[in-house]
Amino acid sequence: MVQYNFKKITVVPSCKDFIDIVLSRTQRQTPTVVHKGYAINRIRQFYMRKVRYTQENFSEKLSAIILEFPRLDDIHPFYGDLLHVLYNKDHYKLALGQINTAKNIITKISKDYVKLLKYGDSLYRCKCLKVAALGRMSTVIKRIGPSLAYLEQIRQHMARLPSIDPNERTILICGYPNVGKSSFINKITRADVDVQPYAFTTKSLFVGHTDYKYLRYQVIDTPGILDRPFEDRNIIEMCSITALAHLRSAVLFFLDISGSCGYTIAQQAALFHSIKSLFMNKPLIIVCNKIDLQPLDALPEEDRKLVMEMKSEAAKTIVAQGGDVKDDNVLLSMSTLTEDGVIAVKNAACDRLLDQRVQIKMNSKRMSSCLNRFHVAEPKPRDNKERPPCIPQAILEARAKKSAEKEKRKLEKDLEEENGGAGVYSASLKKHYILANDEWKEDIMPEILDGHNVYDFVDPDILQRLEELEHEEGMRMESEGVEVEMDGLDLELTPEEKEALAAIRRKKSLMVQEHRIKKSTAESRPIVPRKFDKDRKFTSERMGRQLSSLGMDPSAAIDRVRGRSLSRKGRKRDRSLANDDNGSEAMDVDDGDGSNKKMRIRSRSRSMSMSRSRSRSRPPGEVVPGEGFKDSAQKLTALKIAKKSVKMRNKDARRGEADRVIPNLKPKHLFSGKRSIGKTQRR
Amino acid sequence: MATRVQFENSCEVGVFSKLTNAYCLVAIGGSENFYSAYEAELADVIPVIKTSIAGTRIIGRLCAGNKNGLLLPHNTTDQELHHLRNCLPDQVVVQRVDERLSALGKCVACNDHVALTHTDLDRETEELIADILGVEVFRQTIAGNILVGSYCTFSNRGGLVHPHTSVEDLDELSTLLQVPLVAGTVNRGSEVIAAGMTVNDWTGFCGSDTTATELSVIESVFKLREAQPSSIVDDMRKSLIDSFV
Repeated sequence: MVQYNFKKITVVPSCKDFIDIVLSRTQRQTPTVVHKGYAINRIRQFYMRKVRYTQENFSEKLSAIILEFPRLDDIHPFYGDLLHVLYNKDHYKLALGQINTAKNIITKISKDYVKLLKYGDSLYRCKCLKVAALGRMSTVIKRIGPSLAYLEQIRQHMARLPSIDPNERTILICGYPNVGKSSFINKITRADVDVQPYAFTTKSLFVGHTDYKYLRYQVIDTPGILDRPFEDRNIIEMCSITALAHLRSAVLFFLDISGSCGYTIAQQAALFHSIKSLFMNKPLIIVCNKIDLQPLDALPEEDRKLVMEMKSEAAKTIVAQGGDVKDDNVLLSMSTLTEDGVIAVKNAACDRLLDQRVQIKMNSKRMSSCLNRFHVAEPKPRDNKERPPCIPQAILEARAKKSAEKEKRKLEKDLEEENGGAGVYSASLKKHYILANDEWKEDIMPEILDGHNVYDFVDPDILQRLEELEHEEGMRMESEGVEVEMDGLDLELTPEEKEALAAIRRKKSLMVQEHRIKKSTAESRPIVPRKFDKDRKFTSERMGRQLSSLGMDPSAAIDRVRGRSLSRKGRKRDRSLANDDNGSEAMDVDDGDGSNKKMRIRSRSRSMSMSRSRSRSRPPGEVVPGEGFKDSAQKLTALKIAKKSVKMRNKDARRGEADRVIPNLKPKHLFSGKRSIGKTQRR
Repeated sequence: MATRVQFENSCEVGVFSKLTNAYCLVAIGGSENFYSAYEAELADVIPVIKTSIAGTRIIGRLCAGNKNGLLLPHNTTDQELHHLRNCLPDQVVVQRVDERLSALGKCVACNDHVALTHTDLDRETEELIADILGVEVFRQTIAGNILVGSYCTFSNRGGLVHPHTSVEDLDELSTLLQVPLVAGTVNRGSEVIAAGMTVNDWTGFCGSDTTATELSVIESVFKLREAQPSSIVDDMRKSLIDSFV
């Protein structure tokens, strides 16, 4: 579908702006630096480029103007004529023609000067030629200045034209000035056309849209027409005439039967008869407006006669279309003030237009391809099965009492609005679950339990099965009941047996206690190896007794024994000996103070025992008997192999140590310095 | 009455919802507008359920169902199945189908009595459809399109099919389905009827691009108002001719 949108035409700059735009563009987009010392070819190229570039820009802009403005012969005749009426076709064509000529002249200038530039022998000459070329191009544009200004004005006016689609369903309102055309369009559409009590309030075409029977109709309000020769009509009237002449539409001819518009019915009838040739092949309705001032029935006899004459004339158009002569929709009366009959007029116009369009379309070729869409296939019964619709009772009831106000339900949307809006509110999906118990709704159901998908084990009949199992188990219990009782009897003990059992348990607990005591004291005393102390008589007390019997003071010896055993208890692993050899030696130094004898003894004994307790870690290669190595070298190789076997192989194709490496791809000495002789690779 | 709705700026409402006489499934959207359009119309009578199928929102294209049952594609998750079983009344049988053509909504068009299916559907699936949905199954195409579930939609009272369906095909299909049929469009000329609308025996929803003419055709052929299908050839004929030709 062709869309007539004149709003998209780009702005036409004035001649001065035009030149500025193009020249500054040349300045910006082409190189600007040239020297006398350059080769002459280069200088010529430089200026030729400037000339050519300027010409291209001029041509491009001018042809854009020529292309964008509609060619009056190519667009719909309605628009063609309308533009002719408004802007004068000759003037319009002339302006565009001038632009085209200018374009050609500029092309020719550029061609000539480029040719001349080829013979330019110095920078100065070339520059002069360029200046001359650009100057002549600018002069050409200056000369078409008025045309550019005219086209810009037309563009602005065209952008404000109403967007009328000539192929749409159209209702056209025409008549003398001030008969109520604009009031009518304001009534039936949402267009807001100015209505004033003087003639020619409406100076151009106005469009509104209205709906009837699922279809959209465009309603066009035209300026009033006076009854005078065609040549004398002004531009405003001619707009109406073009619309009447070229739009395939339903025409409403408005008649002010009260005469309050300032024209008598006779004058209006004369207009009707003078332009009736424009109504040919169009559904025509004569609308008698302002019946609130002058009812149609109370019309004087001669006026009545005129109206009837017009009616019969209008009825002829129906006959010409092959319609029904008795059609009553030719003469209608209404009042836009009281809105009496307005809708009837609109409906009649829409109906008749639709009828006409349908009649034309019925005969067209495209109709046959669309026939299936106007066909309702009714089913033929193929069996005796009843296939009833399924409408819940609640719906039927609601339909029955439709008049009663339905209480408004609180929707999820309202809840969302209350709770922070979309993106914040999240409704529970479990809200409407249909379960046996409403409390179960929000229960959390695990998806996976003990590594199993829970839903694989869901069984709708689980309760029934449980019952079955329980029943089965009950049966088994009954049959095994006797045996179970027998086991119970066996557990009964005689009093003697009970006593014996108690004695055994008592003895057992005593033994456990004894052992625990032994165990707890065992570590707190120095131990003489068992083979020398079969009877367990080497205790520290005994040593003391023996020493004192020999006449010696046993306390120091006893203390040392005790101190050592203390030091052994619960020692934790700590730093290796190698790290602080000095430390331990330093600690060995006796401070000789003797102030706190016990502490001194203790610290010393600890340090000594520490040095004893620490083992040096074995060097890796040391051969330990029993490992099976000949010597340390063999052990080291074995260790190496073992380590290697544990290491993962590099399978990711990452860079590894085995890859070839070129440490420096561009060694400085090969790529720097002057080259005097020889090749790059051999220096 | 048919309502114009939109799912997150998309007019393909049939893709994002599934409407039957016993329940209505609606996709989970960013806001509650779409859900509430259905809720306002239906929630008093049948459950309106928000769900996803196979983690997607195109639930209308993935599942097939009527008042007797609901068939879900094999890629429906256990959680979704469980959710649907919890939401639906007990008399609606929910069944997951192991069918290679997993977009069941495109391959199956059905009302409560008859179903049209894709020609390549498994025999097992066909049996399942007949058993679970309680329908007679016919393998059919619509105007040469094998995706019957996309190019037609019908309730127990009427149906709308692809606009290129010939008059003979219309009559044949109508006799198969035992409902009046009309060739038409939704969403300002869209041919994928079932994607653009959902309908049951008493109400319907179509995309918000649907024109007044399309809407009135829909309302009369599905008998959503007092209008009868015959009005398409009587009252509306002229308007239709003028808008289509």
